[in-house]
Amino acid sequence: MSDRGRVLFWRLLILVVLVGAWEWLTGIKAISKTPGLYWIDPFFISRPSVIVKRFAYLASGEVRLSIWAMALSTVQSTLWGFVVGVSTGFAAGLGLGRHDRLARVFEPYIIAFNSLPRIALVPLVTMIFGFGLLAKIVLAWTIVFFIVFFNTFQGARSVDADLIHSARFLGASERQVVRTVIVPSALAWTFAALTPSVSFALIGVVVGEFLGGESGGGLGYLIIQSLGTLNAADMMVALLTLGVIGIVMALGIKQVERRLLRWRPEYRKGP
Amino acid sequence: MSFEVADQEFVAIVGPSGCGKSTILNMLGGLVTPSAGAIEVDGGPVTDVPRKVGYVFQKDTVFPWRTVRRNVALGLEYRGVRGTELETRVREGVRLAGLEGFEDAFPATLSGGMRQRVALMRTLVVNPEILLMDEPFGALDTHTKLSLHAELLTLWEARHQTVVFVTHDLSEAITLADRVIVMTRRPGRIKLVHDVPIPRPRDVIKLRETEEYAHEYSVMWHVLGEELGAPGGVQGDMRTGAGSRLVSGHPQSAPGARPSLQ
Ligand SMILES: Nc1ncnc2c1ncn2[C@@H]1O[C@H](COP(=O)(O)OP(=O)(O)O)[C@@H](O)[C@H]1O
Ligand SMILES: [Mg+2]
Repeated sequence: MSDRGRVLFWRLLILVVLVGAWEWLTGIKAISKTPGLYWIDPFFISRPSVIVKRFAYLASGEVRLSIWAMALSTVQSTLWGFVVGVSTGFAAGLGLGRHDRLARVFEPYIIAFNSLPRIALVPLVTMIFGFGLLAKIVLAWTIVFFIVFFNTFQGARSVDADLIHSARFLGASERQVVRTVIVPSALAWTFAALTPSVSFALIGVVVGEFLGGESGGGLGYLIIQSLGTLNAADMMVALLTLGVIGIVMALGIKQVERRLLRWRPEYRKGP
Repeated sequence: MSFEVADQEFVAIVGPSGCGKSTILNMLGGLVTPSAGAIEVDGGPVTDVPRKVGYVFQKDTVFPWRTVRRNVALGLEYRGVRGTELETRVREGVRLAGLEGFEDAFPATLSGGMRQRVALMRTLVVNPEILLMDEPFGALDTHTKLSLHAELLTLWEARHQTVVFVTHDLSEAITLADRVIVMTRRPGRIKLVHDVPIPRPRDVIKLRETEEYAHEYSVMWHVLGEELGAPGGVQGDMRTGAGSRLVSGHPQSAPGARPSLQ
């Protein structure tokens, strides 16, 4: 078996064992005569078979707000928050990274805002931007921006001065130096921030959805609603869907990274 | 200290580590402003990085995110050269650097010698009139160094740029230069300016077996030895192996030793 095959085999095996154990352990009674007493109570963590049934139901046309609509809403806000956060964070990091005085002026504000727990902003952001998509995007942005900003800032500062000098000797203008030296070397740092950024964008969005109600929709809404009805199965459907969304986005970023950073030795071998 | 370099002349500056060789070159290149005194290029003061000057650093400054081809193309791209002209000149540059077949390789996959070839060709492809080189081959092994000496000489014979070549390797200086400036220990002064009357074109290998080379070497080695100041520092084998490195106990390349410059 090839190395890849072996890894895949073990991954699948772990999945099967976990799901199997979950299904089995939530099915056997601790005290056989007493109904409702389980080794592990499915009331709290549900069971795979039930989750699949609930998923099928939520995915069908019978419900007002299908799981697809909710997932789409979450993905949409996450992507927007991610894109806006990454681009503004990158631009700000590059700008302040190359202008020392500007960086010194802004430093206390950036640190103050960044040390604010973002959850504390949720009510305010909701108050300003309403219960819709926009509030969720803003929340994701407030987190992603800083992660990308700090990394790009470091990257822009640590650009090798001799590379800049060589570019100047080869006739580069200021703008050409930025484009051909500073941006590419900062990018390597920025990319290190992207995978965590996706997770954090998701956090911002889901927290926003907790408060956003039905008009905001999204998987966070499903989670809060399931809490209200004590429905562990629906909650699990939402959590697993979130997990899948996270994986897909992280893999997507890996692909882009591999392409843009293919000059680095660690990416030299193809995927 | 004061010296002049004539048009189309190949001058080497030799001196102990830390005596200010790189500083001189950086001032010539407009990277450092002299605290006193004046630097003139073509009769005018140096205020900024001059356009006609090419600079080859000791440190690897090939852009790691660009392929060989696109590194060689850099200077031309900056100058707005596009299309077929860009392509032709880059192809010619890659050929002259002996890097055919590696056009699309990223620097991380190349050896140190190949990377330095890219750096050299990237500088030459825009035809600088003045070439400043700061120990460009300092980090390379003897074989690679010799072949790069030969290539540099061939390229120089064709264009006759004005070259200021900094090195701590006396044999390198004699092999390449018309004139060698020997500097004193810190604070750097000019100790000796010595013409190298060896005729061109020079064969970098055979050259070292000639009487002239041995003569030049021993004259300057003696002067340099005084600068090292170590008791008995200049004794030992002056011509072969051991003699070919000037300051073997002082590796020149330690980065961070000159934080303000590099
Ligand atoms: N004439 C000088 N005046 C002031 N500082 C000098 C002078 N020459 C050299 N230095 C300092 O000495 C250090 C080593 O100089 P450098 O040019 O790198 O030496 P080299 O290249 O010969 O090893 C640098 O930090 C430089 O600033
Ligand atoms: Mg030096």
